[in-house]
Amino acid sequence: MKAVGARLPRYDGVAHVTGRSTFVDDVRIPGTLAVKALRSPVDHGRITGLDTTKAESMSGVHAVVTHKDVPLNSYGHLSALGIPADEPLLAEEDVRYKGQPIAAVAAEDEETALAAIEAIQLDLEERPALFDMRKAADPDAPVIHQWGNWYPHFEAGFDRRQIRKGDVDAAFDAADLIVSGVYRPAAIEQCPLETQTGLAVPEPNGRLTIYSCTQALYFSMGVVAAHLQWPLNKLKFVGGTVGGGFGGKVDTATETICALLALKSGRPAKWRWTREEEFLCSSTRAAWHIEITDAVSKDGWILGRKTLTLHDAGAYARFSPYGVTKHSFHHTGAYSIPNLFFDGYCIFTNRSPTSAMRGYGVTSVSFATEMHVSRVAAVLGIDPFELRLKNANRIGDTSPNWVTYTDPSTVPTIQAIAEAIGHELPAEYRTATRDQREGAWLPEHLVAQLGSVEAH
Amino acid sequence: MKLNVNGREHEVESAPLTPLLDVLREELTLTSPKAGCLQGGCGACTVLVDGQPVRSCLLPVAALNGAEVTTLEGIGTPERLAPVQAAFYEQYGSQCGFCTPGILLATHALLERNPKPDRADIEAALSGHVCRCTGYVKILASVEAAAGKEAT
Repeated sequence: MKAVGARLPRYDGVAHVTGRSTFVDDVRIPGTLAVKALRSPVDHGRITGLDTTKAESMSGVHAVVTHKDVPLNSYGHLSALGIPADEPLLAEEDVRYKGQPIAAVAAEDEETALAAIEAIQLDLEERPALFDMRKAADPDAPVIHQWGNWYPHFEAGFDRRQIRKGDVDAAFDAADLIVSGVYRPAAIEQCPLETQTGLAVPEPNGRLTIYSCTQALYFSMGVVAAHLQWPLNKLKFVGGTVGGGFGGKVDTATETICALLALKSGRPAKWRWTREEEFLCSSTRAAWHIEITDAVSKDGWILGRKTLTLHDAGAYARFSPYGVTKHSFHHTGAYSIPNLFFDGYCIFTNRSPTSAMRGYGVTSVSFATEMHVSRVAAVLGIDPFELRLKNANRIGDTSPNWVTYTDPSTVPTIQAIAEAIGHELPAEYRTATRDQREGAWLPEHLVAQLGSVEAH
Repeated sequence: MKLNVNGREHEVESAPLTPLLDVLREELTLTSPKAGCLQGGCGACTVLVDGQPVRSCLLPVAALNGAEVTTLEGIGTPERLAPVQAAFYEQYGSQCGFCTPGILLATHALLERNPKPDRADIEAALSGHVCRCTGYVKILASVEAAAGKEAT
């Protein structure tokens, strides 16, 4: 245990404070071309015409790519798990969010690249757009995605992430009180200081070297290889120096288009997004709509919970089903609720596709759960600390998806918070432990949810 | 035109209205000033002109004839860290490192004009610098540690 409690120097600390850390934008390769993209000017529309002839013939323009140049244009972020792809790398017929890439140009400098983008002839037929998940989930809403307005490919053909645990009807029959609440965490742009940046360099041996600011290097490598239909051993990825990510650099944003332009032009191609592009069309954290209804007893036990979650995937699925799955596994937060009915939907809207940000899918439901537990305490007139300690996860309790907790920290955490703010707890709560339930800590309704600690 | 950067005279060939940031990064290959927003909003491109912090993304190089420009490369080296660099290194004031060059130069300029800044002085000097990683607590601690080093 040499590291715990020690002030260890950062391995990259001296490079950072002397300005010598090499971010992607700091890599210097002679002959590098500047990349710019033609992006959808509308939130939803159908492309009726796309002509790049004039841009291709401009002086200083070395390559223009559209969907026709991509060996495998649609490759989903969950394709490796066998889930069909819904998102084209470069739009073909439909555009589903403002800023969606349609074509890209590599030119001598940014000015020439921007002039070439201006010279591309794009004809669009605009269509009605949806921005509110609740409207998109309405049966009368216009259909904005080829799979319908919500993701239909959860396991066994389910159109939602569903959890059923215990006997929720019996819990609601037995309840003294029913407490409901709606919680709506908003979308957030991760906003790293370094915008999305990629650089693809064609090598004399036929391979490509790709400098990437990604948070997920091997994942991005797989995505590029799939779009190019190349074996992985023709790609060399250089990364690890990331100018902030916070989840916003998990989705592969620049690497594949740089690779296509580098291959077509035979020159290194670098794409550095502007701050405006970062806000307009990089992935954000999703907006969520979470409805919780708890069955509670007068003395502060949460007997059962019904939850409906709508997750705003934006225009395409990407990792959203994974985020909803994590959300479902954590939807009781730090508390043991034995009887559960959970439905979570991945709703498509015409917003920028959403992705990870600091606890993908979990922070939203932690916010909702903590707000709701406080609401239950207020309705019952019980100290919220005591209500939390009563229902807190203990060793041997099980999660919504039947994982047995062997190291839960809820009890000591809540006790530490109470002590830190000078909140007096009655002796039974002050001395409560996280040990396996027994006696007064093991009421009848929590018996059936207990798991086997020995199995772990 | 002539530009003095980190004590060296350069004959600059970029067009007169080229932002100083591009001259430094692309023509002179000094890559410590960063392009964060190119709108003067984030502070990542900050360099010193005659000792004063400026946003190099908004400043045309033509405005700088005869001026002395200092980038982070000019205040210390890995073998010989400047006091502000040592303090940020020791106090973990840099996380991803992208905003660090601008913040270090703004701190360096602050301590040159005010060797004993209080917390309000430090916050005012760094108010135009965005950091998304640290939450600023360790940055403030680093500046205070640097002020202590300057005094000794």
